[in-house]
Amino acid sequence: MQNKNEIALEKHGSVVILKIQGDITSFSEPFLNQAYKEANDQGTEKILLNLQEGAYINSGGIAVLIQILAQTKKNNQKISITGLSEHIKKIFNMVGITKFADIHSDVESAIAAMSE
Amino acid sequence: MMTNMSENQADSRVEIILASQIGYERIAMACSATFAEMFGFPKERIEDLKTIVSEASINAMQHGNKGRVDAKVIVSMFFQDDTIRVRVADEGDGIKERPPIPDIEKIIETNEALSGFGLFLIEQLADQVEFKESADKGHVVEMALKMKA
Repeated sequence: MQNKNEIALEKHGSVVILKIQGDITSFSEPFLNQAYKEANDQGTEKILLNLQEGAYINSGGIAVLIQILAQTKKNNQKISITGLSEHIKKIFNMVGITKFADIHSDVESAIAAMSE
Repeated sequence: MMTNMSENQADSRVEIILASQIGYERIAMACSATFAEMFGFPKERIEDLKTIVSEASINAMQHGNKGRVDAKVIVSMFFQDDTIRVRVADEGDGIKERPPIPDIEKIIETNEALSGFGLFLIEQLADQVEFKESADKGHVVEMALKMKA
């Protein structure tokens, strides 16, 4: 059972990518918060969450992601998400995550859109 | 009215008993996916089924059994008339007060407490949902998911 995330930060121009390995559940909270803090400390205005395709995402993970969205809103940052299956895109649309984060099919198109 | 599972066909029924340990809901999810594949459910509906089984099991563990690992969650599934019916039973008292539909805009603007997403997803994805008292003790949620949305 995977109760932790490995998150790598990569900077591509003005965008900081959080490459997140592992499932997104309530156990992800400390890992995502720490990674967001590190990105925020770099003074970034644009954050891309690159989730592991096929990762299990449940309501606990959705709550953690919404906390991150709330922080980006508060800090006037733009946030996008990639690496989602069609089902997770549908779920994110249902709960309203797509009102606060753009969803992209891959990292390249996300960076291109965020760099405009 | 949802059919009472206890009266139904034993030949297409699966039952799983889980400890109330977050993460174990994935066992029920995997089992539900295999079960739906056996009856030819399309991929999209299998994903919907996995989510409702997962969220109902998590709710049963956290809110029903209040995290008591020794308290059981029993997930039963059976297939009838192009529909999979899932019953998730816990040892709790049920929902005293239905949580409001989560409003993400309000949550983000006001830091309102995050809750109710699991139930919201169940009600969005399942074709039918019922909450009831168990005949023995505890609480039951029964959900129906048709082969075609």
